[in-house]
Amino acid sequence: MFDKSNSGQNNPARVIAPAGEPTEFIYQGHHFHIHAITSRWSESGGWWNRISDGNLHTDQSVKIDDQPRAVWRVEAAPVGMLSTFEIELDEVTGNWRIRPTSRAS
Amino acid sequence: MVHSTFVHLRTCSGYSFKYGTATADQLVQRAAELGMHSLALTDRDNMAGAIRFVQACEAGSIKPILGVNLSFIQPKFRITLLATSDGGLPALYQLLTAVNFAGGLLTHELLQENLQYSKKLLVMHGPDSQIATAIGARQLTQGLSIFNSSKDYFFQQGIEILSHRIRGDGPFSTPFAARMLKFARDNNLPAVITNSVRMLNRSDGPLADVLDSARNLVPLHKRHVERQNSEAYLKDIKQMHQVATEISQAAGELTANQLIKTTLHWAEMATLDPRKDVGIGKIHLPEPSVVGGKTQGDLSKQLKERCEAALSSKYFGGQSVVAANRLIDELATVRTLGYESYFLTVADITDLARSKSIRVAARGSGAGSLICYLLGISGVEPITHGLLMERFCSPLRNELPDIDIDVESARRLEIYDAIFERYGKRAATVSMVETYRSRHAIRDVGAALGVSPIEIDLIAKSLPHIRARNISKALENLPELKNLKLDTPILKMAIDLAQRLDGLPRHLSMHPCAIVLSDIGLRDHAPLELNASGYPMVQFDKDDVEAVGFLKLDVLGVRMQSAISYTIAEIERVEGEKLDIDQISLADQPTFDLIASTRTLGVFQIESPGQRELIGKFAPSTFTDLIIDISLFRPGPVKSDMIRPFLSARHGLSNVKSIHPDLDAIMQETEGVVVFHEQVIRLISVMTDISLAQADEKRRALGTLDGQQEVCDWFYPASLANGFCLKVVQEIWEILRAFASFGFCKAHAAAFALPTYQSAWLKTHHTAAFIAGVLTHDPGMYPKRLILDDARQWGIEIKGVDVNKSQRTVVVEKVISKNQITYTAPDLKSTGRSLQLPNANGYALRISLADVGGISDNEINSIINGRPYIDLSDFVRRSGASVTTTESLIMIGGFDQLHQIGDKLNRRDLLLHLQDLYKLTGTKISQNQLTLELLPPPLTSAGLPNLTAQEQIQNEISVLGMELSAHLLNSYGEFLNAIGAVKSSDVIRQRSGASLLIAGVKSALQTPPVRSGRRVMFLTIDDGYGCNDVTFFEDVQQSYAQLLRTSNLFLIRGQLRRTGPRGVSIRATQAWELSSAYNLWLANKTLANKKAGDWRNLPTVQIESGNSA
Repeated sequence: MFDKSNSGQNNPARVIAPAGEPTEFIYQGHHFHIHAITSRWSESGGWWNRISDGNLHTDQSVKIDDQPRAVWRVEAAPVGMLSTFEIELDEVTGNWRIRPTSRAS
Repeated sequence: MVHSTFVHLRTCSGYSFKYGTATADQLVQRAAELGMHSLALTDRDNMAGAIRFVQACEAGSIKPILGVNLSFIQPKFRITLLATSDGGLPALYQLLTAVNFAGGLLTHELLQENLQYSKKLLVMHGPDSQIATAIGARQLTQGLSIFNSSKDYFFQQGIEILSHRIRGDGPFSTPFAARMLKFARDNNLPAVITNSVRMLNRSDGPLADVLDSARNLVPLHKRHVERQNSEAYLKDIKQMHQVATEISQAAGELTANQLIKTTLHWAEMATLDPRKDVGIGKIHLPEPSVVGGKTQGDLSKQLKERCEAALSSKYFGGQSVVAANRLIDELATVRTLGYESYFLTVADITDLARSKSIRVAARGSGAGSLICYLLGISGVEPITHGLLMERFCSPLRNELPDIDIDVESARRLEIYDAIFERYGKRAATVSMVETYRSRHAIRDVGAALGVSPIEIDLIAKSLPHIRARNISKALENLPELKNLKLDTPILKMAIDLAQRLDGLPRHLSMHPCAIVLSDIGLRDHAPLELNASGYPMVQFDKDDVEAVGFLKLDVLGVRMQSAISYTIAEIERVEGEKLDIDQISLADQPTFDLIASTRTLGVFQIESPGQRELIGKFAPSTFTDLIIDISLFRPGPVKSDMIRPFLSARHGLSNVKSIHPDLDAIMQETEGVVVFHEQVIRLISVMTDISLAQADEKRRALGTLDGQQEVCDWFYPASLANGFCLKVVQEIWEILRAFASFGFCKAHAAAFALPTYQSAWLKTHHTAAFIAGVLTHDPGMYPKRLILDDARQWGIEIKGVDVNKSQRTVVVEKVISKNQITYTAPDLKSTGRSLQLPNANGYALRISLADVGGISDNEINSIINGRPYIDLSDFVRRSGASVTTTESLIMIGGFDQLHQIGDKLNRRDLLLHLQDLYKLTGTKISQNQLTLELLPPPLTSAGLPNLTAQEQIQNEISVLGMELSAHLLNSYGEFLNAIGAVKSSDVIRQRSGASLLIAGVKSALQTPPVRSGRRVMFLTIDDGYGCNDVTFFEDVQQSYAQLLRTSNLFLIRGQLRRTGPRGVSIRATQAWELSSAYNLWLANKTLANKKAGDWRNLPTVQIESGNSA
């Protein structure tokens, strides 16, 4: 069901979100099940920094990318282990990203 | 119902300056697309977008809600007020006006004073309110007491629940919204949900960032950016229900039903009707009592009586019958429309101006109305000039006619003051929305992105004043920017964003001339603020005030009216003659001779190079010709080639063919070329047998392509049915189609022609006084030095500044005539008649103190008050003039007369003497406390040579900005004579096709519209013998454009072409900066080397001419 190559920072993570909200994901090779969503928010901005990041090239047409992201803070666990993660969906590319978090909310 | 809809109660448009990213229209359109039935506009601190918004709502079947978002108690706390349906809007306007007049902050005191208004308003306390701060600090009791402290002021208060779903649990996050909801529920307060909209689309975030950055004057940086995500856009119904559910559930409620229900209930309480509540389409004129009547009937009677009285004194014989019939018709129209108060109010204001001896004249289509003429609003007699009332005011248009009045620019604000004094709360100035155009857009975006200020400045300065959305296109065509790399990512991004700012409002300023008058309820119909000049100003623009039915009057300051007024005063002072310029004959031959001579510098409307070329070809000989001339000299007729066929028919080169005898009278007025709207109206009326008013509706329809098709479909059958044959119908339709959009309102042109003629008449008969007026009020396009030059050519002496004689303004002095040789007009070869031109020998103009650079108003006053002065030390002691001003005065000869500067003493001696005076007295002198015990040092000659003539000219230029003693070109005399340059007064004698050299000082450089659409540069230079207008076509622009812009003195080779009896044009083929040409010539002369390489064969040119150079 999932690809394995999902652990690198720039590679999209694998997340299952049947109704738009994540329910399961793979993180560092482990299959996690989400037990609870503790909060949701959305983020965007920082578009002006992308020039200095070198992500813009003179030959490409300049498209200002506000990078809107939806974020879920979830409690998830592989078998028997409960921890907290943030799962992020890049709404432009449709790519997911996962990061563990120590803070509960 | 609850689940299928939503109403946004808090929406900011671009009228929330530098905050909202969308126009009111866009928001309304989106709301309609999203299936919403209602929308609120709640801009920050103003309601400038209200009318536009309501009109868009009406067009989009959206029910409008109006409110405003204000700072409450402290600038950082904001609340949103909404007008209730039940008389809430006038109340909101009144309260907002009170807030604006008090400085922009809503306070408890203001609410107490305005209870009758605030009681009709709803208020929402959201996450940026003071209550939210208390809730955020978990001080719920304090939150409640804040809520209760303002409870009694309003119709109802509510808690505004709002989540932009930002990270964490602070304001604008879902957890915070939930806490506010719980607070509302715990205390049983109404809670409504909004999205605090500031954007149209989710993708508009970057634009919002740029606006935040421009508003807060900080560059974009993580630290400064307020926006954390893109949620503040106009979300759809489903999205809003999702947010509501999310918040409600976080607050422990099962569903969002309650929250949505209250929101919709509030929307219902605040829904407005565009007509009934906002008053679109209503008319609010000053009440009868203001203009001297009790009832509408009184006004009707008063208007009739005033017009009839004037009629009997202005019309005689057969004319009076025609006029009386026309008056009956016009009065009937006015009665149908109920506009009596309109006309009487405007007349009252023109009377008000005249009672203060301020010159006033109506411009625009109002001159077409006989009533306006009889009431003294307009000075042009409409019947003989064929002007139509229908073009101005028609029963078929339910909109107030537009009258503009021109007044003396120097006294414009006196009229404002008089109007406010008389009309009080019934009057206000009008605002003007300044939107982002190219330059501001690129500057604001550049600053936000941190682009190098030098680059941004360069781009902004080279951009023409165009819409921001056209920046890219414009940049492609700017050679100035070739060296700038415009395709770096940051510049590309900046240009992209700047284009997206297109049309967004950025500032509300005062309309430069509009003023509105209404009934006593003005402030119930519009919100006001105090503008920068301290006048009350409605926050609506000129279109809005028309939509809500105020009487709008444009009071334009016209410098020429000031100049005319000044001229008349000078005539009275010098000659003891009281002139009534409004009674002069409009058929004065010497005046038309002056116009035909094209020596019209300073004359209203016809002084520009292009106009002088046109009057040279045209030679207007009647007042009607002047009207035609003014109508022809506009971009439309120039581009559509109306001038050439007109002139060739006028000069008998082609015949005006008759299309149909019934139409001849209309067509012959302008040699078969349709120039005026009035002709179009008459043609349509005669062809289809409809009334003039109906014909004007058709004429208006011709303005659009769709309208044109409609009129065409109607015109053919209607004219055929009226008995015209198809050939005539076709021919006339072609004329209507081609010229309708370029035509000009004849009444408007006639109104302009009057000051044109009057100024030409004054220049002809009172040349010196008129030029004094022009120099004092500077109405035209030319620098003073050129006007002075013109004065000299009429035989007027120019007298320099004299500390005992110069006044605040330029004045006329009578002198013993030195019988100078004045400019004479060559014979008109075509008619054999010599033009009769003025001779102003015996008059002098005294340059004013105000012309001295750096002099202050106070200095002028005290210099004049301290007169007479017996010598320089007396002046230094008593005049109150600063050292630098005194020095300037010495340098330009202000003391020459007093000290008989000449062989024994010179200006250098005076300057030394001035130094001595100051050494002696130290600082005391600057405080004007020189005591008499200190005897002034003697004034003696130091034996230094006097200033050279060239130095004198330099001083005059640097102090006065104009040369008095001799022309700038004088020092080049030998050179110019040697190379055979032609004096401008002799150019007319050259044969057509001749190649000639001319020299002069640049006085104007223009690039007017031309028919081909190609850019042409017109350079006007003067050489002390008059002006030459030189044309640079595209082929030579490449080489000389830069030189023309940056230099001042030129030598030009051109080819001459005759264009009419007095018309010549010179097409430039080469141009040099004069001093470099001179140096080349000098070098050549000393080397005596005939083969000199870089000389471009200049000295060998032989110019055949009869001039005695």
